[in-house]
Amino acid sequence: MNKSFVLASLVAGALSSLSASATAQTLNVYTYDSFASKWGPGPAVKANFEKECGCTLNFVSVDSSVGILSRVQLEGSSSNADVVLGLDLNLMHKAEKTGLLAKSGVDTSKVTLPGGWHDPVFVPFDHGYFAFVYNADKLKTPLTSLKDIVDNQHLRVIYEDPRTSTPGLGLLLWMKSVYGDKAAEAWATLAKHTVTVSKNWSDAYSLFLKGEGDVVLSYTTSPAYHIMEEGVTKYKAAPASEGYYPQVEVAAMMKHAPHPKLAKEFMAFILTPGFQSTVATGNWMLPVIKLPEGLPKAFASRQRPTKVLTLPAAEVASHRAQWTNEWLEATTR
Amino acid sequence: MPGKGYHLATWFRLTPALLGLLVFVLVGAASLAALLRFSQFESWSGYLHNIYLWRVVRFSLWQALLSSVLSLLIAVPVASCLTHRQFKGRGVLLQLFAVSMVVPTIVAILGIVVVYGHSGWLHALFGVETPLYGLLGILLAHVFFNMPLAVRLLLQSYGLVPSGQWRLASQLGFSRWTAFRLIEWSYIKKALPGAFVLIFMLCFSSFSVVLSLGGGPKSSTLEVAIYQALRFDFDLNKASFLSLLQVSICSLVALMVYRFAPANQQDVSLLDARLYPLKDSILALFGDCLAMALAVFLVIPPFLAIFDPIFSVTFYQTLMADATWQAVWVSLKIAIPAALLSLFLGGCFGVLARMTMDRGRLAFLSSKIEQLGSMILMVPGLVLATGLFLWLRSIGLSSLSGYWVVVWVNAVMALPFVLRALMPVLYQQEKRFRNLYTSLGIHGANRLVIEWPLIRKSVSQAFGYAVLLSLGDMGVIALFGSQGLVSLPLYLFQLIGSYRLQEGSCIAVILICLCLLLFYLSVRFIGGKTHVKY
Repeated sequence: MNKSFVLASLVAGALSSLSASATAQTLNVYTYDSFASKWGPGPAVKANFEKECGCTLNFVSVDSSVGILSRVQLEGSSSNADVVLGLDLNLMHKAEKTGLLAKSGVDTSKVTLPGGWHDPVFVPFDHGYFAFVYNADKLKTPLTSLKDIVDNQHLRVIYEDPRTSTPGLGLLLWMKSVYGDKAAEAWATLAKHTVTVSKNWSDAYSLFLKGEGDVVLSYTTSPAYHIMEEGVTKYKAAPASEGYYPQVEVAAMMKHAPHPKLAKEFMAFILTPGFQSTVATGNWMLPVIKLPEGLPKAFASRQRPTKVLTLPAAEVASHRAQWTNEWLEATTR
Repeated sequence: MPGKGYHLATWFRLTPALLGLLVFVLVGAASLAALLRFSQFESWSGYLHNIYLWRVVRFSLWQALLSSVLSLLIAVPVASCLTHRQFKGRGVLLQLFAVSMVVPTIVAILGIVVVYGHSGWLHALFGVETPLYGLLGILLAHVFFNMPLAVRLLLQSYGLVPSGQWRLASQLGFSRWTAFRLIEWSYIKKALPGAFVLIFMLCFSSFSVVLSLGGGPKSSTLEVAIYQALRFDFDLNKASFLSLLQVSICSLVALMVYRFAPANQQDVSLLDARLYPLKDSILALFGDCLAMALAVFLVIPPFLAIFDPIFSVTFYQTLMADATWQAVWVSLKIAIPAALLSLFLGGCFGVLARMTMDRGRLAFLSSKIEQLGSMILMVPGLVLATGLFLWLRSIGLSSLSGYWVVVWVNAVMALPFVLRALMPVLYQQEKRFRNLYTSLGIHGANRLVIEWPLIRKSVSQAFGYAVLLSLGDMGVIALFGSQGLVSLPLYLFQLIGSYRLQEGSCIAVILICLCLLLFYLSVRFIGGKTHVKY
């Protein structure tokens, strides 16, 4: 008797916590979990948007940005998603080809990204630049370029696997745009002093924080986290004289969105301060519009790209498998 | 001789168990079929010619073989020592051994790195720099996860040794070595193939450990390729090819092992499980110390490293945070129903397997049923979940809450462990009571009532393992996770994913403590106060 009651209440609790998405005025946004978590931008975005729209914003979080795409692909046209938020530059081409996304209709002229933004489907919501982060207390010789990192045989390097993580793929493209046809040799040189190539950013960064590597592939904005949240200034992003490879995170509206009007409103909301002011200290990335109040002080010391390298999305899509194989060949030789 | 009517009635009574088995098989088959619908078989031959793929397969096999053999080699003397010797901390050690398997991979990796890594304790204390990244790191991690599991599985078979044999050994003045050769070995060798296959499969499909500690893409497993195909490329065709390949290879290995395994002959033992002291010697003591030292050295330091943040302020803050307790609640909400379901499924399998045991033409079924339950380990959780997701969608149940999918997948993933824990003792009871049951006409639940005092210890182990595995699960929940469903491992992953390694480490400690507590409670309340005594 007692036991079945406990079980029933367990079940009821489980169901009630999941059926929140059933009501009509709820906008479902699929995103990755660190965006929706309590320290991510999610809660502030939710509060700000709900003030404007008089609706409920519900985040459905998946483990990673690639996870978002495979989730909506799995669900197909029967998906409850109105908006997908958290795809990146290199997933755009693939995402658009699924035919599940609709044109946003958002005016992106305010976007301050280098080269502006001209995509009719995707709206950028934050951006950053890949960079190798190091501990300045331990590493005395300053690094100045990507070439420094590749060639310095004493440097213990940790990076992410391009087959399983977005930063890993970012490095693959960065290397390609810097080294071109010589990328394979550069990878082979790097492999000689690579500590390990991990599954995702979390594993790599944790290993780095435990002192296993001298440098780890992360973002130019990573040091800002340590300054603001921990008051630690020893972590620095290495400058790259060849230029930086960007990561731009984007959102898109679903073609079969159950609430198209709300979805459109949300897409436009992305480029307003109500959303953009949350990304710096929530996601530790940079906003894509000019904010009236500017960025927190900790971001002032970040590396600013003198040159931004970007490979065209179509080229990335058609060559990704080939470049991944090139990396694999070179590093397992 | 029972007549035909008897048989019909027997089978009728087995309906619930058959239904359980049927649901398991049907859901499994439907999920697999849903995934296979996307396959284009003509492209498969192309995949087969990929050189890198075969290198990956070879490496997977090699590291899994080494890991499981090493784990078992250490586990056998350790289990023998733990059976014969009582010492301070033995209980705590056994508890730790139960949870090592479910320590979240990233936490275990960091624990191992803190001990053996470049800035690790070993380096700081003795100046020894271990070439951690490579095969050594992978083996250290796999032994950390699986050797304790092997010890616990072997201890179970020690529990099946009838006390009469120990008494005799004691009276005849057997040395430990003679007792091992003449008594223990014949029980252990029955458990070894099953334990080997279990650990082999866990290591074969290991993912994060192999990537992070393997030192680069040279060390990689099929699971990495499956993940890439399923998540990064969303290539269901390739994913199903790779999963089938993995299942085929694992089945082949399992078949080979079971071929050499002794037939499943259970002994009728006396009910008393008392142990009689054997003749001790310096040599035996030395051997025991050596084995225990090795086991302790491999398992304890990483645990100490993991428990390191326990005295920090952050730990206190994490303990006070609402989010932590919400995650605990979600974890329990998933783990307890999943474990109950797993136990139920295990019961269904167990009842059917023991019914067919030694029944002429049906006899071969008993081991087949048992192996069917373990097969699930060969299929990656992510593949299982994706298939299930596709199938539910195709039959119009896409709105079925992710919660139940997570519970189901966790339950079936825990099934192999439940079966490992339950089967030996179930077979033993069958052997012991079958004729009695038949002649007295005792059926169904009544048998459970009679056997309960004898099997409750194993049931508690099975339940404990199922709870632990579901508590520690990350893969399945990540695919179906939504805002309301942040379990402890997922919360940990989120924290580490946003620079908060310190808080993440604290959550890991809380998760492990929760595991310890639940396992203790399970053993204490389901397993009863002490060993079964008569």
